[in-house]
Amino acid sequence: MFVEKVKVMIVDDSKVSRTILANHLSKTNFEVVAMAKDAADAVQLYKEHNPDIVTMDMNLPDADGIECSRRIRQMDAEAKIVMISAMKDANLVAQGQAVGIGAFLQKPVSTNEIIETLMRLCTEKVNQTARFRDSYARIFEQAFKNGILNILGLKTDVTLEVYDKKFLAVDGIAVIIGLTGTPSGRAIFYMSKDTMKVFAEKMLGVGDVSDDEANDAVEEAANIVMGRGVSDVNNAFKDKEMRITPPGTICGNGIKVASPKLLTFKLTAKTDFGDICVNVGFAEGD
Amino acid sequence: MDAKLVNPFIDAFMAVMPQIGFPTPKRKKLYLQDKNIIGKGVIVMVGFTKQMRGNVVYNMQEETAKFIASTMMMGMPVAEFDAMAQSAISELSNMLSANAATNLTQMDLEVDISTPNLTIGEGFSLKISEDQYLTVEMDLGGHDLDIAIAVDRNG
Repeated sequence: MFVEKVKVMIVDDSKVSRTILANHLSKTNFEVVAMAKDAADAVQLYKEHNPDIVTMDMNLPDADGIECSRRIRQMDAEAKIVMISAMKDANLVAQGQAVGIGAFLQKPVSTNEIIETLMRLCTEKVNQTARFRDSYARIFEQAFKNGILNILGLKTDVTLEVYDKKFLAVDGIAVIIGLTGTPSGRAIFYMSKDTMKVFAEKMLGVGDVSDDEANDAVEEAANIVMGRGVSDVNNAFKDKEMRITPPGTICGNGIKVASPKLLTFKLTAKTDFGDICVNVGFAEGD
Repeated sequence: MDAKLVNPFIDAFMAVMPQIGFPTPKRKKLYLQDKNIIGKGVIVMVGFTKQMRGNVVYNMQEETAKFIASTMMMGMPVAEFDAMAQSAISELSNMLSANAATNLTQMDLEVDISTPNLTIGEGFSLKISEDQYLTVEMDLGGHDLDIAIAVDRNG
């Protein structure tokens, strides 16, 4: 059905209902990552698990499903929520739509009905993720791998995964390079400070580099890798005219990089002096 | 860098902010800088390509970011700099940069902009240019916002 597992959170105060729903989903590519019994639980678990989709009951002990949905959408304006409740009337649907609930089902629901609805709400994102990954992220993966080989003389495996956390946490150095054209986006080349030192020594072929020299070396490496990635995208798709912006280089600890509205991928190259990572994200339109 | 390239950004700020609830933005200081930017709390960086290349950075305290997000959302309280507030600040940076891009076309410069990149944290350093760049300090009803502009004509 899908290449990616789709993460679901179930919000329902009844253990029976939660179990039935989880059973419906257990034989599919939907993966129940969290079950909440009330609104407070739901908000907390949404933060922790960042599910792709939420099923919402109307009656919760501490707030109704509309209010709970509103709180979730306040944290994540893109949250996809389907209401599954015993009652369903025009008034409820109107209220639900106002807070961004995408679909309404009445209990009892059949497996087909629930899967069809969840799929409809998720298809857009799943298709886009697959397309961004196969069309663009794979090309950057190859450019990254070749870059490490050419710059450091190091053969490494590079892993590619969808990155769905709200933040990218950086301790050390992060070189941010914007991507313009279609799709637009940004790439972040990052590593710890210790890894950076060894990276720069290997790249420059000397021992004992200063912090500034190490920063410059990583920045240059990021430029080379991303420049190569973008030109490979342009070559693969003749109608593309992607470009890279000059880099912005961040140094420090406990830094969080957020990119609302981007679909991002994490590329990791494991080396014996630490992980070298790239997070590349894309957006369609402008 | 060419000082003429700064005006499209200041004009964009003066034109956009009143539309989203800040009637009287003021320009405080404008100066050349060659050191790294130090993050005040929330930094948004937008990159430019095509006939002008470079980065523009909006640097503010988290309190200011919350104040702006709340004002943009018609006074809705913003207690935490949460996803919705981040989205608002990101959208604002996009509006300011797109508006500046339109101003630049009137100088016969065609540009493309990257998606905004939002970084949260205090005291980190951000290097956006090898050369000097301009910083404009703006005042928004008692809140400070710095715009660092490091752009140059391409070729």
